[in-house]
This record gives sequence, structure tokens and C-alpha cells, in this order.
Amino acid sequence: MMMTDPNDKMLDDLFADARAFKVAPSDALMARVLADAEAAQPKSQSVQKARLGMWAQFMDVIGGWPAVSGLAAATVAGIWIGVAPPSSVEDITASFMGDEVSVDLFSSDFGFAAGDFVDG
Amino acid sequence: MNAQPDPFAGAPDEALLVAFANGDGQAARFLTTRLLPRVLAQATRMLGNPSEAEDVAQDAMMRLWKIAPEWRQGEAQISTWLYRVVANLCTDRLRKRRGAVSLDQVAEPLDGTPSVAAQMQTNARMAALSDALAQLPDRQAQAVALRHLEGLPNPEIAQIMDISVRSVESLTARGKRALADIMAGRKAELGYDDD
Repeated sequence: MMMTDPNDKMLDDLFADARAFKVAPSDALMARVLADAEAAQPKSQSVQKARLGMWAQFMDVIGGWPAVSGLAAATVAGIWIGVAPPSSVEDITASFMGDEVSVDLFSSDFGFAAGDFVDG
Repeated sequence: MNAQPDPFAGAPDEALLVAFANGDGQAARFLTTRLLPRVLAQATRMLGNPSEAEDVAQDAMMRLWKIAPEWRQGEAQISTWLYRVVANLCTDRLRKRRGAVSLDQVAEPLDGTPSVAAQMQTNARMAALSDALAQLPDRQAQAVALRHLEGLPNPEIAQIMDISVRSVESLTARGKRALADIMAGRKAELGYDDD
């Protein structure tokens, strides 16, 4: 039968003592760790978006500055066509709408027709 | 300390870390409550010094917060990763201590012992064990600590240390033998002379 080495016995006891040792984090350590966590935590995307102003949100939706430049060019062109329409545009408008357009909402004989209806 | 109900109850640590990385304000608290006690215990057992162990525990948790946004899910368990980080941080400190060991460094009382005399003896034994670990090569010290102080099985130690199970067996066997030789001269001093 093998004899247990007394040094091994001591070491095994020592290991057992160490394993049985309990330690709880102090409140101070907990606070330090949580402060580190707060400093290191990435800010959430929803929080970042909520902090964006209305202009930034609008830019986000339409796709940024390239889209803004396109919108600006289209607006200027529209105003210019309205103020000084080129002849080609005038011709197209005339062909669709005629030179003069008038719209009557109520027919001039509406009263008579209604009267006819009432009298039977 | 934490009276709030855990909204992450049942969720794995990894899910909390993802929540933390996504800006969840509560995730850090509940993750700390789960992980810090074991991290601190591992550091305390290896270093035998409460204030050094607290510094290591804080450092290890800091590394966890920093790696959170890049954490690759399913690749490693947080517990395995933390065991490795704490073991490395502790051996860094043990290496600095090597050759300049003094029991006077370990004067702070440790909690959890019933009487002053028992507390002092526990202090002395933990400090002696830590000082003996400091005499070992880093990898031996880590393997011995994970096997005999944390009580982990060899396959898990192999994962933590990123080596084969056979290497773990070799490191722990050689480390334990060397530790026994180092501790042999301190039996009486540590109260082991009555067996």
C-alpha cells in the first residue's frame, strides 16, 4: 500500500481551505465596477436618434446632402418654369387645356329643372 | 445589495452582454451581480491579498465592458473568457512579486472566518499558497490554480488556457509537485505540524 506523502496531504488541505474560502464583493467595489461600466457603455442607437433634431431626422429620412441638392435643383427649376415658361411648355399646356378654360359649377337652368322636379 | 427583480432571469450571460452593448442601462448591474463574486474569488485565491484581488477583479470586468461591442456570440463562454483574463492578470502580478515575497504584504483581514486566530491562520495559509504559486512558471501556476483552487475539470481548463487536456495534466502534475516542495518548509509555520 502506498503511503500518502505528508507534503501532498498538507497541499490538499491547503487547496481545500482555499476552495472553501468565500468572499463577497464590497459595495465600494461594486460601485467602482458599475462606474466603469457606465463610462464604457456604448450609447444605444434609439437614444442617439431621439437626440437628433428635426432637421437631422429629415436628412436621415431623405438620404442626406445629395438628396437635398437634388431637391433644391428641382425646386428652382419648377419656380423658373412657372415664372417664365419656355415656348415649348406653353404649347404643350395650350394643347391640353385650350387657351381659355371656364368651369360652371351650377348649370344656369338648374333652378328650372329643380322646379320641374318639385311640381312633378 | 440588489433588491430589484432580475429582468434577465434565465437569460444567459451572453444575452446580458449584448444588451449592455446595445445600451441597456440595467444589464451592467445584473451582469456584475452574476459575475463579480466569482471573478473576485478567483483573484483572491490566487493572490491571497484582498486589495490586489479587488484591483484585478475591477480590471477584468473593465475588459469585459470594453470587449462587449465586439463580442462574437457562440465563440466562447463569458465565464471561460473571464477565467482566462483573471488568471493572466493574476500571474502578471505574481511574476512581479517573484523574488520579493514578504508575508508582511498580506496583513489585511479576510472575511469569512469565525475567530481572529482562525482568520489569521487562514490569511497566512492563503498568502503562503499565493507566494508559492508566484515561484512557479506562469502556465504551471495558472493550471494549478484553475485545477486545485477553482476545482475545474481538466477539459474546461484546457479551453480556458487554449491547450490540450494532456498539457493540462502535465502542467498540473509538475506544478503541484513543485508547490509541495516549496511549501514543505513552511508546515509548522502554517499549523500543519500535527499530522
